[in-house]
Amino acid sequence: MAEVDLSDAEKIFIKHGVQDNCREDGRGCEDYRHIELETGLLSNTTGSARVRLANTDILAGVKAELGTPSPDKPNKGRLEFFVDCSANATPVFEGRGGEELAAEIGNILTRTYDCPSCFDLEALCIIPEEQCWILYVDVLLLECGGNLFDVASIAVKAALYNTKIPKVTVSRDEGLVELEISDDPYDVQRVEVQSAPCIVTVCKIGHSHVVDASLKEEACCLARLTMGVTERRTVTGVRKEGSGSLDPASLEDMMQTGKRVGELLNKSLMDSLLEEERQGSKKKPVGFLK
Amino acid sequence: MPTDSRRINGPEDSFDPSVLLVDKKTREKILRDGKRKDGRKPEQVRPIFLKAGIISQARGSAYIEQNETKVMCAVYGPREVTKKEEFSMKGQLTCEFKFATFSCRVRRQYQQDNEERDYSCQLQDALEPAVRMDKFPKAQVNVYVTVLQNDGSPLAASLTCASVALANAGIEMYDLVVGCSARITPSEVFIDPTESEDYKAENDNEAGNGSVTLGLMPSLNQVSAITSKGEVEFELLNKGTKQCVDVCQKLYPVLQQAVAKAVEDRLSSDHVT
Amino acid sequence: MAGLELLSDQGFRIDGRRSHELRKIQCKLGVFSQADGSAYVEQGNTKVLAAVYGPHEIRGSRSKLLQDKVLVNCQYSMATFSTSERKRRPRGDRKSQEMTMHLQQTFNAAILTSLHPRSQIDIFVEVLQSDGGNYCASVNAATLAVIDAGIPMKDYVCACSASYLGDSPIVDINYLEESSGSPEITVAVLPKSEQIVFLEMNGRLHEDNLSKVVDMAVKGCKDVYGVLDRTVREHVSQVGSSLET
Repeated sequence: MAEVDLSDAEKIFIKHGVQDNCREDGRGCEDYRHIELETGLLSNTTGSARVRLANTDILAGVKAELGTPSPDKPNKGRLEFFVDCSANATPVFEGRGGEELAAEIGNILTRTYDCPSCFDLEALCIIPEEQCWILYVDVLLLECGGNLFDVASIAVKAALYNTKIPKVTVSRDEGLVELEISDDPYDVQRVEVQSAPCIVTVCKIGHSHVVDASLKEEACCLARLTMGVTERRTVTGVRKEGSGSLDPASLEDMMQTGKRVGELLNKSLMDSLLEEERQGSKKKPVGFLK
Repeated sequence: MPTDSRRINGPEDSFDPSVLLVDKKTREKILRDGKRKDGRKPEQVRPIFLKAGIISQARGSAYIEQNETKVMCAVYGPREVTKKEEFSMKGQLTCEFKFATFSCRVRRQYQQDNEERDYSCQLQDALEPAVRMDKFPKAQVNVYVTVLQNDGSPLAASLTCASVALANAGIEMYDLVVGCSARITPSEVFIDPTESEDYKAENDNEAGNGSVTLGLMPSLNQVSAITSKGEVEFELLNKGTKQCVDVCQKLYPVLQQAVAKAVEDRLSSDHVT
Repeated sequence: MAGLELLSDQGFRIDGRRSHELRKIQCKLGVFSQADGSAYVEQGNTKVLAAVYGPHEIRGSRSKLLQDKVLVNCQYSMATFSTSERKRRPRGDRKSQEMTMHLQQTFNAAILTSLHPRSQIDIFVEVLQSDGGNYCASVNAATLAVIDAGIPMKDYVCACSASYLGDSPIVDINYLEESSGSPEITVAVLPKSEQIVFLEMNGRLHEDNLSKVVDMAVKGCKDVYGVLDRTVREHVSQVGSSLET
């Protein structure tokens, strides 16, 4: 993360701009920056996606492994998040330096996905109490340019959309259970992500608020609200962060904004995922070589 | 999570049987008829006992009881920051949130787990706006919260308790922070849920279930913390936060009384000695 | 491994290469804008990202400061999803620490360290997908990143692995060949002066064949050099032409 040190004058400039709905890069308060998305670029994973928004670059990989369901949820599979902040992003993350940020992103992802109605874990169960799929969602942060939570959630949703779990047939033979895992790359089970949430971070700057804050704007912001928003306009996992406070009226405004923007974000994400899928094998993988 | 190497842990593949006994009746009741087990109205809070100044070694402390939810908090400092690189002209606030091992239905570990670490962060984010950090430069204040018994809404109780303990320690603050949580069902909002009423991802399969916890600074009328779980309708979330704000306003005198009582006690004991 | 023929009678390897052929190398300089230098290298299915920061003031404890030369600080980490079996930790395990040390030694030998005394250069390598030859790809990516950062070096450092199968040496081995139990030699050289800066061997190999395999690996390094050099020249001319307009 490039260190941002702003003088008071610069902060005032940004605050006044935000008040007049004109931000330092010319965006309005509810506009996102340009987002680039590519799925299926890592052949070692069951699903992968790379998202780049301005300078923020996140790679998400999903790996499906067989395991046993936890005893209090016998008929459900599991979804585990792991976030790693690569030192490529900033030397501060070297060694264990990025762990705090990683845990924060991981907690928020876990919290927003922690509701049965937005992500169906029962579809991941193979034999109740015995076998289920565990989806390890690994998020790798390669470069930071602000707004990490939103980008991480977009990458996760895209990677889950791209996930193709091999079909499993269960046969019981004299009490012994046999699992046969299909090795046909087309005989697969998809993961339902239609109702999965995207995170929208709303930053309070001065008396107004913005979405998709840049690094400079994040430096001016004392309180921000992260919220998971689904396509159905429901809200999962709201959380206020930072050392500032909000008055109840502006809290409501911020949640309204988050909901409105989140709905659009979900929609355009699904559109581009479908578009990419439609291109199918005609599309050449780009990866980092562009 | 790193394993605890200092103590003898239970066998790895054992689990608590109580996870299998889900209190289905209470859950169904609250969802179907809108009736609560203890006969409370939806917007009614549990009775609160709050006392400041209970730990003599600590600079400030407080204890809160909301029926079966019992939380205590100790505040130490301001004291010197030992690490040189963490030098700052603003003070620092550290929070440590811990469930006592016996506090929940399932036994907790001695080491902080992810949930507790998450609560610690939230506590810090909620208290920082209220504390005048510029008043203790180069120093830090440590807040330790221990949940002795958990029967729902532990974070809300901890918020209230910690802010009273900070006031009791004589740390300068803009305002106290009052915590309140609400359970949101597809149709209604229940204030101050107990453990059996509270939202759990593994049991509430339908959309629209969730819970929200809010911290309010009543005299400034500023929200210093909000956090929610589960997937809820926007309108109900909004209704829930509004009700929480109202409840926090109503609870404010209770906190003021507790802080004042502790000061009176201290003065009278000084007088005697 | 029954039924798995690593070298066919016609002299083709399992991925269709001949014994002296490298995997396809694709690379790019300047992937990230925030790092001082960065590069991405694909060698077959092995994909590596490298970023370089510096030379800058020593970070952290001053005890690491060197009075007469620059401190080269490396970190090698592998993404948890990079291997076919999921890794639990991206770094900190013994293998990554060893790789970190090897990278450090290699680049200490190649960078003109005396030019920046009392400062530090960070080289961070992230393996995104691993299919054998991780170290080689890491060195090649790091070289490009160092060049992208404009840090003076004696020469490119190019690394390549080789093995001995049947009765002929094979170059640039992939994961299947690596795990088949045949010996593995990894070499990093400065191609112009033909100096070897790093040499490591695992497994068992008859003394008579050693020089053959090392020659094969060094030959591989020179081929790698050709590819890297072309990329750098293309990149520089691109940057140059964009400056003109």
